[in-house]
Amino acid sequence: MARLDRMPEPMKSHLLNLPCPAFQERPWVSGKPLAERRIAIISTAGLQRRGDRPFEGMTGEYRVISGDITAGDLVMTHISTNFDRTGFQQDWNVAFPLDRLKELAAEGSIGSVAAYHYSFMGAADPSDMEPAARTLALLLKGDNVDGVLLLPV
Amino acid sequence: MGALAHYLESEGLPTTQISLIREHTETIRPPRALWVPFELGRPFGTPGNAAFQKRVLMAALRLLEAPEGPLLVDFTEEAPEGAARGDEGLEGWSCPIIMTSEAGKETDMERLLAAFKREVAELRPRYDLGFEERKRTAVVEFGPQSSPEVLSSFLTGGKLLAGQKKFSLALALRLAAQDLKAFYFEAATARPGSASPSSGEFNRWFWQETAGGRILKAVKERCMQESDESLKKTGAMLLVPLDQ
Repeated sequence: MARLDRMPEPMKSHLLNLPCPAFQERPWVSGKPLAERRIAIISTAGLQRRGDRPFEGMTGEYRVISGDITAGDLVMTHISTNFDRTGFQQDWNVAFPLDRLKELAAEGSIGSVAAYHYSFMGAADPSDMEPAARTLALLLKGDNVDGVLLLPV
Repeated sequence: MGALAHYLESEGLPTTQISLIREHTETIRPPRALWVPFELGRPFGTPGNAAFQKRVLMAALRLLEAPEGPLLVDFTEEAPEGAARGDEGLEGWSCPIIMTSEAGKETDMERLLAAFKREVAELRPRYDLGFEERKRTAVVEFGPQSSPEVLSSFLTGGKLLAGQKKFSLALALRLAAQDLKAFYFEAATARPGSASPSSGEFNRWFWQETAGGRILKAVKERCMQESDESLKKTGAMLLVPLDQ
């Protein structure tokens, strides 16, 4: 369970000691109703297209995932061994809910699903991800995305 | 995760997120976050339960319509079935494949390698069956033939076989270790109609009962004796979970 108070050592201390930046600013952007929004997924699960470069090191780089990717072509190369992968093995939606997002778009709960999604490898230091995140902001706006769903693993 | 939200929102993009470790999210304070009580690796709770996944997803997305923040909202419903079972140590699942050796207890390296080879051969038809049924595998780079070869050749010679030089040794070992576990999971769960183990049940089986688990622990030990820093780090952190 992702509840630190129930988690055995040494996982508990390992997680508590991960670097966690504190921010002074509180950015907040308002927008349209959910039913009109275009949603993109950014995962930190170390996801990539099959055949793309596996994640290696802690450089804050990311991989591009096309919106028409299928479950068989999305693989996980996160470096950590300290989280469950068997859920993702059984059903990719448990970490990357692209099927669910498409269903929500089809039934009108969201406006649309982005043409591209992205993945980082979450063990990287957050500050190393900043340049890539600011680049991604431009790509997402180019895709008319106005709702970003950030997903940990 | 929360840091990415800060960067994107400050560039003008509205964000919402799932939080798995509430303590981290409380420190980072991203604009909108839905904390969920699920285990690490499963931000949408339960594989194969579309209705539940959709409820979690909608709860996270609805935060985009909140008038002000930062917001950290709790999703208190536990993931249905499976997810909590393994953590409690209850018996529910056992591997349906009958192994011919007591591989999990083998200590002599040569005999362990031989037991590993037999075990892989016994698992292979199940893996193939699972792949036929699912039309999908989580194995990334090293298939059921080559991941055991990569790991075994490192244990016997400290290096990669010729023809497997696409990656550095450290990266190849890490990918082979993950691929081996994926192969074992898919083989062990391939029986038609069988229930899947919880993550805890699978981990107990893999790490305590199989030669594959013992091999990964041996690779870890060997890596940590190497002078190469990337091998040392891979051995220390990236092959065997902290709790095994």
